[in-house]
Amino acid sequence: MTETAVAPQTVLKIQRLSKSYDQREVLRGIDLEVAKGQLLGLVGPNGAGKTTMLRCLVGLVQRSSGDVNILGCDPSADSLAIRRRTCYLPGETGVYQQMTGDRFLKFALGFYPRQDHDLKERLLEHFALPLKKKVRSYSAGMKQKLALVATLAPDVDLYLLDEPDRALDASVRYFLRDVLRSMKDQGKTILLSSHHLSEVESLADRLVFLLDGQFVSAARLARAREALRHQPRIRLCPGAQLPAGAKLVREELDGMLVVSTATDPMRWLQTLPEGTVESAEIGIDRLEDLYQLLLQDQGDER
Amino acid sequence: MIAGKTWREVRMVALAYLIILEMLLIPVLTLWPEIYADLQRSTLFRSLGVDWIKRLGSGISNRNEEIAYLNWCAVMLFFRSANLVGTAAAVLIGTGLFARERESNTFEFLLARPVSRSSLLWQKFWPSALVVTLPIFIVNATAIPWSWTLELDLPKWELFLASLHAAIFALAIFCLTMLVSILVRVQAHVAAIVGAFVIVQIGMYLTQRIRPYSLFRLVDFDWYAPIMSGNKPAWKMFDPFRSYGYSTYLLLGAVLLYFLSWRALRRTEP
Repeated sequence: MTETAVAPQTVLKIQRLSKSYDQREVLRGIDLEVAKGQLLGLVGPNGAGKTTMLRCLVGLVQRSSGDVNILGCDPSADSLAIRRRTCYLPGETGVYQQMTGDRFLKFALGFYPRQDHDLKERLLEHFALPLKKKVRSYSAGMKQKLALVATLAPDVDLYLLDEPDRALDASVRYFLRDVLRSMKDQGKTILLSSHHLSEVESLADRLVFLLDGQFVSAARLARAREALRHQPRIRLCPGAQLPAGAKLVREELDGMLVVSTATDPMRWLQTLPEGTVESAEIGIDRLEDLYQLLLQDQGDER
Repeated sequence: MIAGKTWREVRMVALAYLIILEMLLIPVLTLWPEIYADLQRSTLFRSLGVDWIKRLGSGISNRNEEIAYLNWCAVMLFFRSANLVGTAAAVLIGTGLFARERESNTFEFLLARPVSRSSLLWQKFWPSALVVTLPIFIVNATAIPWSWTLELDLPKWELFLASLHAAIFALAIFCLTMLVSILVRVQAHVAAIVGAFVIVQIGMYLTQRIRPYSLFRLVDFDWYAPIMSGNKPAWKMFDPFRSYGYSTYLLLGAVLLYFLSWRALRRTEP
């Protein structure tokens, strides 16, 4: 592993990062650079390597090869210095069940010398957690909210958030988006991994898509999303047949049909006679479908 | 901070352990006059073919009651209470130290805090180690005033030395459990592994032919009786170049297991 040259404004620089478990390669030589004050969105299916990548960055997992420079330190050599200046929210909510919410926050925040008290108050006010009660009585969403307060309240240089929106309902997700946006506006650097593509996209300065341990190029992602735009989900009226101009991709459990249209799906729908399609969804990034298309595209490229 | 959390987790076990040890002490001492009188009349021990039981029997039925009482305490206070109950406490407290963190998904949270792994291990170790060892000294110290009710005396310094040896043994078992708790992810598996090890050791102890190879050989009547009677002073207990200096080896074993725990924790991944 060689010394990596880093520009002063660069918070994170990864070069050819690889990680294998036994014979299985989880990360395959990824490169990434994040500047100070950036919010980077990291999207990918389960098992793509997002969590492993974040763990490598904070030194919880040793990389197999490649160079990582995070806040001027190498996680293999100086992970403690990195952890003093970063806050990492693990993908699995880790909160002590036997503690009260208050005590957990006191414990978790006690490790950091500086805190953003305004942000802490804002989060606590919105989340309205019963802090005097034991964490074991909390719902999954409440536990995640508690973990979020413990992660976002410390005043550090870099926040690494592994699926922070897990177990949160839509309204809380929107609130979290506002919070992250305001943190970004204050010049804080955030690396955010999520399953909600459209929400991350609306928030992030940059989006990277991790698939099978590698980043997907922007061109390939754009191609897959364009292809997905031509695959609307429709529900046929009772007794109606699939109209011409569309090919059935699959039928879903809820009775909706995913079809592939040769022309623009909006125009195609407009040409259909009344009483054919009951409802339709167009232009929604369905992540599972996107993964399928990207994997298919990967196969084609090979 | 982690030490405080560890203490809060083990304090109830500590209290229960202390109470159990103290409760075990009371009948042992209060029943002594009757037991001693019975032993004077009985020749059962002497007629048994097993060598160590014969030695034990002649020790606690010695014509000099003060000597007999010291031997009785060597068996009951130390081998039975401090070492058998102490071993159970060490296993109970040690199993959850890291394996429970993994099971409740808090291990990754803890590793991601700005605290070194050596500090993490130390802050989890010392409150638990105190809980395992300190009650042995406290409860055995209370045996002195209890003995006054029988108009018998227990020598303070010798009692302290015997407690020290018992505490070192419990500490070694605790360090072993801590190591397994780092290596094995499920708390029940840790308990099963260390529990099986202890049961095998006790089984070996009860089998005459392989008894010298059991760890419990280092904490039995033959070990404590000379300490309690003042025949094994501190320098002898800790002299590593003599066969009776096994306190040092037990202590070194505990240190080695702590070192192995530190190495295992450094390498462990969430």
